[in-house]
Order: sequence, then structure tokens, then C-alpha cells
Amino acid sequence: MAETTLEKKTFLSVENLLVQYKLSGETVYAVNNVSFTVAKGTTLGLVGETGAGKTTIAKAILRILPDHSLKGISGSVVFDGKDLLKLPETEMRSYRGKNISMIFQDPMTALNPVKTVVDQIAEGIALHQNMNKANARIKAIEMLETVGISADRADEYPHQFSGGMKQRVVIAIALACNPDLLIADEPTTALDVTIQAQVLDLISSLQQKLGTSMILITHDLGVVAGTCDAVAVVYAGEIIEYGSKEDIFDHPMHPYTVGLFGALPDLKKNVNRLSPIVGLPPDPTVAYTDSCPFAERCPHVAPQCREKKPHNAEVSQGHFVRCHLAGEIAGKAAP
Amino acid sequence: MAKLLQVEHLKKYFPTSRGVVHAVDDVSFSIEEGETMGLVGESGCGKSTLGRTCIHLLESTGGTIRFQGNDVTHLSKKALAEYRNCVQIIFQDPFSSLNPRMTIRDTVTEPLKLSGRFRGEELNRESERLMDLVGIEKRFYNSYPHELDGGRRQRAGVARAISLKPKFIVCDEPVSALDVSIQAQILNLLMDLQDEFKLTYLFVTHDLSVVRHISNKICVMYLGQMVETASTDALFARPYHPYTKALLSAIPTVDIHNQQQRILLKGEITSPINPHPGCRFAQRCPYATAECTQSDLPLVEVEPGHFVACSRIRQINKDL
Repeated sequence: MAETTLEKKTFLSVENLLVQYKLSGETVYAVNNVSFTVAKGTTLGLVGETGAGKTTIAKAILRILPDHSLKGISGSVVFDGKDLLKLPETEMRSYRGKNISMIFQDPMTALNPVKTVVDQIAEGIALHQNMNKANARIKAIEMLETVGISADRADEYPHQFSGGMKQRVVIAIALACNPDLLIADEPTTALDVTIQAQVLDLISSLQQKLGTSMILITHDLGVVAGTCDAVAVVYAGEIIEYGSKEDIFDHPMHPYTVGLFGALPDLKKNVNRLSPIVGLPPDPTVAYTDSCPFAERCPHVAPQCREKKPHNAEVSQGHFVRCHLAGEIAGKAAP
Repeated sequence: MAKLLQVEHLKKYFPTSRGVVHAVDDVSFSIEEGETMGLVGESGCGKSTLGRTCIHLLESTGGTIRFQGNDVTHLSKKALAEYRNCVQIIFQDPFSSLNPRMTIRDTVTEPLKLSGRFRGEELNRESERLMDLVGIEKRFYNSYPHELDGGRRQRAGVARAISLKPKFIVCDEPVSALDVSIQAQILNLLMDLQDEFKLTYLFVTHDLSVVRHISNKICVMYLGQMVETASTDALFARPYHPYTKALLSAIPTVDIHNQQQRILLKGEITSPINPHPGCRFAQRCPYATAECTQSDLPLVEVEPGHFVACSRIRQINKDL
């Protein structure tokens, strides 16, 4: 399974991506040398906790980071043979919404409250596909029906829709121009479980129909298990473990990944106590240049973890772990 | 075990300009001392309103609430103050439920001061004991909420709730705003405190894996009504109501080799404003017939302790 996934043509390749923000005089090390690839037609899950840098990675790909607080960005984001980070802004604009689009986390705030939903979908279509207004409207209504909203509600405003329906509108906007890459940032976090199941089902069926590749950002390992082909675990702005879904779920190697699985209440097993990861998420204003960022919370910590940064080791084909002790503490099976 | 809280036919309606919202509509249940009852359902189904009505943060529209056998449905100001010594609440969002202008120490000390049970140096000793008990480190005693992370803030919320040694605590989504690694810390803390002080919890949450972990029994709500209630093990092993079945099947699991078939519901949750008679789930239910919307459905005991409100339960569940 893993080999077939990786052999597929990669068409997005992120290398040594580095993003820093400035925050009241301090530097925030949001993304630190992140590299990954996405193969055509597959889904990569970016998993991590609040503040790990997942959304910043997504926004860096689309170049929609806030200018006023951005301190520096470097590395490369090669999409379809071109480095997006080096494109002039005018050219970049033609990629956004057309080749790469994004589903934002909160459907309540992602939509314009004073425009009808059909106008919001038609806007992108008219811009990127050179259609006149009437045709764009027809296409927009088609999109609404694709996501399961009937045409007679097209001229309503976002506040007249429930949370699940708003998220469908956001999905319709994102998929309207048939993008090659869809970045979904916690697309179901704001939704209830039965609605979440509907929306995830919708995204994956549309993805299969249109052949779209996807980066799915989430903190929910259960959502990843149901939708992704490959998984990158993000901690303190670094990818600390990366591999196929089977690698990560069946053979998690990094103590943080193992800890995440351990902290989840299990539906099938009755355990009396959960095993939380001790301590707190790392301070993003600290640069972990000579140490492992997880060292303070790691149950296996050794002296070298505080002295040297672990390198990215390939423990089996396509399965990368950034941990000094990966070989020694391996073999912890998934729950 | 003695019944600590007994709620019968409880109703809470909110008048709005568009009609009356039936947030809680004829709900009955009881909680035994020392047990945890999980209350699950989707957003807007009335589970928080139910929790708050039980402890008089909201006044009920109808029905009765009994606490340790005494009727506490309507209380005088004085009796209410006494009731509040016994019941407490932990809120969902530790970012907005703590006063931003009070230090953690002040927040924990305030209820002690108001109770009049502690004076002078005792106050300090007791608040420090509480903060220590919930795992707040000394260096944070004089910090303000914005200086703390979500996990520590929620610990402060817990310390405040247990400060007057209540018997019953409504936990209103206490871990929903927290990251997974921190969520486990708070759940463990709540369970430890329950063991130590024989606390009784009403645990309101939309997260079914959390509720499975912490509860002895579970009530499932849909649009203000209870559709199924049973012991945790029975409910997860044999869900009978079509909504419970869909809800349980929709939980994303981390087992990539046994992904269960999700039951996908059609449509959205309907409005709780002036609801139609009959089963409120009927519009989304794959098994609904015309008779489902004709009259209100009672909860029926299908197995000892396992109650379901569904008129087609025997057609849907052949094993019953």
C-alpha cells in the first residue's frame, strides 16, 4: 500500500518551509523546516495540536499569511513545476481558487454575510473561468446541488443556513473551479458528529469524482483514519513523523505520536485512567535548534535529546521519524 | 444507592420573537449518588439548558426537580443559596468563564469568602490546598487567566467548583475546548476527585468517546427530548433508537482496519421552535412512517434499565 501511494506522481512538493512571525518584539517560530509531498489524487493528513503550525503551513502554500506580522518565509513550495513562493503576486492570484483552493475551519465566519450564497460561489467561477454572470450563476447553482443544497435556496443569505449547510457552501466555493489541490483546514471541527459524517462523505466522494488531491488539516486522529492516505504529525512547527496511514496508525514511532494515541479515550476498551501526555505544548517563541522540542514532555527522554536536534530518519520505506530513540522505543503497537 | 437528583417531566421554554423554543421538553431522569450520568446530543438539542436548569441557573418552565428527596423546583432566595452550596458547575470554555481581572487565587478564594466558612489565614490555606489539589503549580497562584493555557484555566474552574465541597457538579463540556493531550489530564483529574469526594456528575458533552470513558449511564437527547437512556455498556453494545445508532456509527475511530459503516442521516437538525407533535427525529429518520409524527412518544423500558422512545423499535430491532 505504502509503495503504491508514494510511487504516484507527486505534484506538490514542499521543501524546508520556514515561517516566522513577529509578535510584540518576539519571534514566533511557527514553521521550522517542513518538507513533504502530495501525490496526485491522494490525501495527506496534517495532524497536530492547537498552535503546532498546521494552518500556517496551509496559508504559506497559498501565500495568504498576514503581511503585518510575518517576519520571514523561506524554502520552496513547488506546484506543477513552479515555485509558488517565487511567483509575482499577480500570477499567484490566478492559482488561488483555481488550481489550489482552501476550505476554512469556521463556516460561520468564512462566508460574506451580506452576499447571497449563489453570488459567493459565482464570483470565483466568473473570475477564473471567463464566464459571464448568467453562466456563472448557472454553474454556481449546479455546484450547490452537487453539495446537496436545493436550487431554491440559492438566493438566501448565510445566516439563513445551518452550520452544516454553511460548510457545504464553503465546500462548493472551494470546488467550483475544479482545483487540483484542495486544502481543508479542520473542515468539520465546528460541526456535530452526524453532520461531520455527512460532510466528510461529501468531500471524499467529490474528491474521487474530480480526482482532486487534498491536504486535510485536523487534530482528530479518527477523521484522519477515515480519509487520509499519508499522515504528517506536526509538533512545534516541525513534522516529527511522516508516513503512510498504515505506518502511523499501526507502527507509530515518535513518542509524541504514541502519546497522542494513548491520550484518546477508546470506544472499544474500558480503561480506568487515560494516559495523558505530561506537561504543556511548547512555547513557539523558543527556537529548538539544538534540542528536540518534545524533550520536556517525553517519557523516554535521554541526555542527547537536550543537546542535539534529532535528524529525520527513515525507519522503513517512506516512514520518517525525527527522534534520537526511534529505533529503541519502536514496536509500540497502535491502540 | 440513594437517588441524589430526580428530575420529572422537566420543561424549559424560551419565548422568542419567532415563537417558543422548546429547549427541554418533558425530560425525566434520576442520578444516583456517586455516579456519572452522561448527557449527549448535538449542538442545540438542549443538553446544556437541561444541566443548567437542574441547578437553578435557569428557572424551569414545568416539571419537578428533587435533590436528596427534597423538592427544589421552586426555591426562596435563602433556600437557593443553600442549594448552591451543594451543586456546582464547570463550564465549557475556560477562556470566558474566569474573570480576566481576578488572579487564580482570587477566583478560587471568592466562593470560600462568600460562604463565611473561612476567615483570615484559613482562607489562604484553604485556597492553596484547593489549587494544589487540582494541580496548579505555586508559581501560577497569582497569575491572571490570560497568562495560563487552557488546561490550567480549566483546572482553576475545577478548583472553584469543588471549593465548597458540593455533592453534585454539572460538567458542561469541560474538555471540549482543550487539546487531546490536555483533555486526558482534566478527565483524569475529574475522576480522581470523584473517587476522593464521592462526587456525582452530570456530564454534558457531544463527544461520545469521552462520555463512554467517564459515565456509568448515558442519556441521549434530540431536540429537547430524551430518545434513549441506558447504562453506558448497554447503550454502546445495543443502541436501539435509530438516532443513537446513527450517532454512534458517526464517531470517527482510529482503528484503520475496522472502519465501521457510517449511517448517514439525511437533512439537518430541525428547529426547536414550536415543534410538531410526535417523534422529532422523524424527518431525518430512515425508518419513519406517517404514524411517527402523530402523537408524542413515551420512553418505554425495553430491557431492564434501558429506555427508548421510538414507535417502530420492534420493527427496526429484530432482536428485541
